[in-house]
Amino acid sequence: MRNIVVVVCLVCLLSVGIGAAGASEVVVIKNGRVLPMNGPAIEGGVVIVENGKIVRVGKDLPVPEGATVIDAAGGWVLPGLIEAHTTIGLRDDSGPYGSSNSDELSDPATAQLRVLDALNPFDKSIKHAREAGITAALVTPGRGNVIGGQAAVVRLAGKTVEEMTILSPAGIKLSLGEGPKDAYGGKGRLPSTRMGSAYVVRKALLEAGEYLKKTKDYEAAKAKAKGKAKDGKAGEEAPAPKRDLALEPLAALLDGKFPAFVECYRADDIMTALRLVDEFKFKAVLIGCAEGFRVAGEIAKRGIPVIVGPMGIGPKRIETMEVTIANAAALAKAGVKVVLEAEEGTLGIGALEELPLAAALAVKGGLDRDQALRAITLTAAEVLGVADRIGSLEAGKDADVVVFDGDPLNYRTRVKAVLLGGKVLFGTVEK
Amino acid sequence: MRKIIAILGLFGVLSVGFAPAGNAMPGAEEKVVAIVNARILTVTKGEIAKGSVLIANGKILEVGADVNVPEGARVIDAAGCVVTPGLVDSHSHLGLGPSGGVTEDNEMSDPVTPQLRVIDSIHPEGIGADKGQFRNALAEGVTTVIARPGSGNVIGGQSAVIKLRGGTVDDMVIVFPADMKMALGRKGGYASKGVMPMTKMGTAYLVRQAMLDAADYRDALARYAKEKAKKPESVPPARDLKKEAMLKVLEREIPVHIHVSAADDIMTAVRLAGEFKFLRLSLGHAVEAYKVADELAKHGVIVVVGPLMITYDDDGKLVNLADFLVKRGVEINIMTDADVVQEQFLRYQAAIAVKYGMDPAEALKAITINPAKLAGLEKRIGSIEAGKDADLVVFSGDPFDIQSRTLKVMIDGKVVYEAK
Repeated sequence: MRNIVVVVCLVCLLSVGIGAAGASEVVVIKNGRVLPMNGPAIEGGVVIVENGKIVRVGKDLPVPEGATVIDAAGGWVLPGLIEAHTTIGLRDDSGPYGSSNSDELSDPATAQLRVLDALNPFDKSIKHAREAGITAALVTPGRGNVIGGQAAVVRLAGKTVEEMTILSPAGIKLSLGEGPKDAYGGKGRLPSTRMGSAYVVRKALLEAGEYLKKTKDYEAAKAKAKGKAKDGKAGEEAPAPKRDLALEPLAALLDGKFPAFVECYRADDIMTALRLVDEFKFKAVLIGCAEGFRVAGEIAKRGIPVIVGPMGIGPKRIETMEVTIANAAALAKAGVKVVLEAEEGTLGIGALEELPLAAALAVKGGLDRDQALRAITLTAAEVLGVADRIGSLEAGKDADVVVFDGDPLNYRTRVKAVLLGGKVLFGTVEK
Repeated sequence: MRKIIAILGLFGVLSVGFAPAGNAMPGAEEKVVAIVNARILTVTKGEIAKGSVLIANGKILEVGADVNVPEGARVIDAAGCVVTPGLVDSHSHLGLGPSGGVTEDNEMSDPVTPQLRVIDSIHPEGIGADKGQFRNALAEGVTTVIARPGSGNVIGGQSAVIKLRGGTVDDMVIVFPADMKMALGRKGGYASKGVMPMTKMGTAYLVRQAMLDAADYRDALARYAKEKAKKPESVPPARDLKKEAMLKVLEREIPVHIHVSAADDIMTAVRLAGEFKFLRLSLGHAVEAYKVADELAKHGVIVVVGPLMITYDDDGKLVNLADFLVKRGVEINIMTDADVVQEQFLRYQAAIAVKYGMDPAEALKAITINPAKLAGLEKRIGSIEAGKDADLVVFSGDPFDIQSRTLKVMIDGKVVYEAK
C-alpha cells in the first residue's frame, strides 16, 4: 500500500472547475472512522470513489491500482454535510456587482420566482461553506414574502447554476409571522398582519386549485379527443388554458409534485401552517419552528418534518424569544423527523460553516448523537427529496465526502479534506 | 428576417454643419474615385502593403495591389497612409443626450418597454454637452453604430443600426429594428420604488413573462386567422405594441442584446436564450465573462467588450477581456457605450486591448467586421471588398497609434470628413 501526499491548492481548483463531469480518477479514503449514516460506524473503514460516485464502503477493501489515497487515520469520515435552509449566493453584497437578491419585496406572492435566477456561484460564502464540509444546500428565497418563490437543492461548487443544481424546484418557499409583516406592514400594504399573510396563501392556493383543475380537464379532454380521432372521428380540440407562471408552481404543489417549505417560528404561526396544510392538503416541511416544542404532537400527528432553526444562542428576534436548545430533542421525541440548519446570520450559530455546532447544541439539548449527525446529512437529504443522490456513504451516491480530524460534534474539530463529486476540493493529507 | 426599411419621416429638419445624406442623384453616373498607394487593411482578405481601392456609385468596385485606375478617375494619393473600412461601434447611445444630464436612454416608468424604438429618441447631431458628437465620431473614422436604448429597464426597447451620414435619423437608419435590448443583474431605479424587479429572480421573471405574453399574442393571432377563414367578419385581436415587439424576438426575427456584468447574470442570459431560442445572443460589457468563457464559446454567445477594456480577477491579476475571450473561442466586438466613452474614441478602446497583448488584426475586426456580422450586415459593411458599401477611412498611419490622424472618411463613397 502506498500513501500519497495529496495537497490540493485552492488556486488549482479555481482554474480546473468542479463539475461532476470528467472526474474519472479513483480516490480512496482509508483508515478513518467511517460514519456512513445508513448503518453503523466502521472503524478503520475504506471509502472508494470512482467517476464521481461512491463505489464501495467497508472494511479491509483493497486499494485499486493508481488511486489517489487520502489517509484519514485518526479522523472521522462522513457524507458531505447539507445545510437545509439558506439564502447563500443570493445575498452577496461584496464586490462591484454584489447585491442582495433574496427578497423580491415588490409583491408578497411571487411563486413564479426561481432562486436559480439569482444564485451567484462565485459568491465567496459558497467556497467557505464547502471548505467547511458543507457540500449541498437548500437555497430558498428570504422570509420577506409570504410566497417567496421556488427553492432549489444545489451542490456548493460549480461555475454555473446548471452545474450546481441537484433538484429544482425542490419546493415552494412560504413565510408566516414577522417576516412579511416587517416587509409590508410599514408600507401600509397587505400583509400587515398574520391574518393578512394567511389570506395571501389561501387566495393563491384557491386560484392554483382552479388552475390545476383547468389544466387536468384540458389534458383529459385532449386525451379523449385523441381517442375519438383514432375511431376516425375528428375530435374538436379544446383551447389550452393560458399559462400562468405564478400559478403553475403552486398547482404543482397542490398536485403533490414537491413540498412547501414553510418558515414559521411562534407556536401560533406553526398552527397556521398546519391549518393551511389541512385545508389544502399539500406536502409541507416546516422551517425554523422556534416554539416547535409547544406543539410537537400536532406536527408529529401530520407527519410533517421540521428543519429546526435557531438553537437559542446568539441574538433573538421577537418571534424566537422562547427558543430552547431542547427544541430539536422535544420534536424528535414526539416523533417528528428533525433536520438541523445553521440559521446563519443573526439568529442562530452565526455562520453557515458552523453547521456541526448546531448539531452539537441539539445533542446538548437532549437529541440522540446519531440522530443529530443524520439531521445534517441523511435526514436532510430525505426531507429535501435528494436522498437518491446525497446524504450517506453508499455505493451509487455522489462522492460528497468530508473528513474531520475528530468527532464533528466537538467544537475543536476541524475539516481535513472535502470531496465533492469525487474531486478532492480541499485538504492536506499527511503521509 | 431583419427588415431593412426606409422610413419616410415627416418630422425632423435637415441638420446643418456637415455633409447631408448622400444618395447619388438618380440617373447620374458617378465618376470613379481611386485611392492609390495606400497600405490597405481589408480586414477579411488580409493586408495589402501598397494598393488601390476603386469606388463608384457608393460601392467598392475593386481592391488590390494591381488595380488599373480607369481613365478620368478622381485619384486620391494615399502614399504612407493606411486605409481601413469605416469603423463600426457595436454599442452606442449616440444622440440620446449627455450622460448625467436629462438623457433619453431610459424610460423609467415601466421595467418592460419592448415597444419603445430608439430611433424616436435619437437627436441626429447630439444636443447640449453632446452637441457635435456625430461629427466628432466621423472625425475619428466611426461610420456606423448600433444605437440602443439604455439599461435601466429589463427590456429597454428596439435598437437600430445607423450610418453617421447626416440628415435626419430616418436618413441615417439602415436597419430597424436591429435587436431587442435587455438588461440583467441590476435593479435600476425600481428597487427604491418597491416595484419589481428588486431582485435578480424578479428580473429573470419579467423577461420570461414578456416572452409568454408574446406567445399568447401569437396564439390569438393564429386563432383569428383560422376563424377568419370560416367567418370573414371575425374581429381580430386588438394590436398590442408591447407584445408585437416581443413577438419578433419569439419568432426569431430579431436577435437579443443583453447588458450584463456579473458571471451569474451572464449565465442567466444564456439560460433565457436557450429557453426561448433567441435568434442570436450578444452580451454588452460582460465584465466577468472570463469566469464563464468556455460556456459562452460553447453556446456561441457574442460578447461586446467595453467601455471597460481591462479588469482584474479575484486574485488581482489583470484580465485583458477582449483578448482573453478571443483566445478561448468567444467571438467579440468592442464598444464605446457612447457617451460613457465618447464615440470618437472607438479605435482607442481597441488600442487598449492591443496594448495588453491582443493581436491588432483581431482588435480591428472587433470594430469593423464583427459588429457588422452582429448587425447582420457582413455582406454590406465592415471590410474592404468589392461590392460592399464604400465606407472607408484614410489614417495617416497605424489606426491603433494614437498619434495617427484621420485624414479622410467616406460613407457610401461620399467624403463626409476631411482633415483641414
